[in-house]
Amino acid sequence: MRRCRDGDRKAFERLVIRYQKPVYNAALRMLRNPEDARDVAQTVFLKVFEHLSQYDPSSRFYSWIYRIALNESVNALGRSKHLEAISGNEIDQAPGPERQVESEQANSAIESALMRLQPDHRAVIVLRHLQHLSYEDMGDILELPEKTVKSRLFTARQLLRDLLVKGGVA
Amino acid sequence: MVDPQYLASIHAEIDGELDHKQRAELARHLLADPELRALRDGLRRVCDTLEAMPSVDPPSQLRTDILAALPRATARVVPFRPAARWSAPAWRLAAVFAGALVTGTVLYQSGVGRGPALTDIAGTMAGPSERTPGTVDTVRLNLGQASGRASLYRAGAGFGVELELVASAPVDVLVASGGQTKRINGLGSPGSPGGPLTAVELPGVMSPGQRVDLTFLVAGHQIGAATLRIPAGR
Repeated sequence: MRRCRDGDRKAFERLVIRYQKPVYNAALRMLRNPEDARDVAQTVFLKVFEHLSQYDPSSRFYSWIYRIALNESVNALGRSKHLEAISGNEIDQAPGPERQVESEQANSAIESALMRLQPDHRAVIVLRHLQHLSYEDMGDILELPEKTVKSRLFTARQLLRDLLVKGGVA
Repeated sequence: MVDPQYLASIHAEIDGELDHKQRAELARHLLADPELRALRDGLRRVCDTLEAMPSVDPPSQLRTDILAALPRATARVVPFRPAARWSAPAWRLAAVFAGALVTGTVLYQSGVGRGPALTDIAGTMAGPSERTPGTVDTVRLNLGQASGRASLYRAGAGFGVELELVASAPVDVLVASGGQTKRINGLGSPGSPGGPLTAVELPGVMSPGQRVDLTFLVAGHQIGAATLRIPAGR
């Protein structure tokens, strides 16, 4: 860590190798666009490099980098038109309840539904169910009490389920 | 209308946070209330589908692009201020000395310098300030045909193994933990696509004290082994 702070690129490369996949995946699930996720991941690591002096070594590094990743994803959402680009029809075109959905279709339907959630709700779903983090870790990342994280997650799950039911998927 | 109390129980059940008695109580209500049951089943399906979604490998050029985009000047603006317990020079010196002593002892006991015999190495802890964030165990490798180090690190809910190897010939590594094995091929040689450094995520849930066994092969022959371990109390 000290070497990273001293600008040691080799040491920093270690960080990139370790964290590029979770950072990229968090951004991808927030944005659903691989190009945007790639840009966000790159921005995240550049910010980490620039602001390493602000990182408190007594806290978890991955909480810090996830926080930056989520913030950058939300910023990217604000810059793009993806929210508007997702139409309500996308969910409605999913297979009806009488049909057994294949996993790819289910994934696609869920991804579409995720994009219709508010970023705050999407973030808790991503952290809990796609990054498999504990409530404690989620609280660290989102800088919220665990109770608030739980409550937000419960709401997000139900909204997601309602969207899928409306689309005839769940 | 679903009772909020049962709704909270459903979410707690999905998160595996109900004890036996609470589960039995919820089951009774689910049996008696089809609406509640439909809601629970729907939520569970959504969560199961989310959990089953595969993670995606980042584009292969991402690492290179990030490193290429780093500012030419070093990032160092503010002097590093380590945690208070390491701030005194005496403590830092002691940590470095202790780390070197442990490393030397383990390497000696592992048979370094005894020639080309197989090398079995247990994890050695580097000083905290020297470790990449998230590292929980590190072992230095001196395998004759290959040298470097292996580190076990925590990333989010899981763990990963980082390998840094320089070798005279491509090294294949078997990473075994919790009954599962991953194989990484062709590390360490000058022509390796990822260079000397690579990281692999470990499957499944790891528990304190659990070991990760590494076996190093060159041309199908074992040249050494090492063990990393998740410290107790994590």
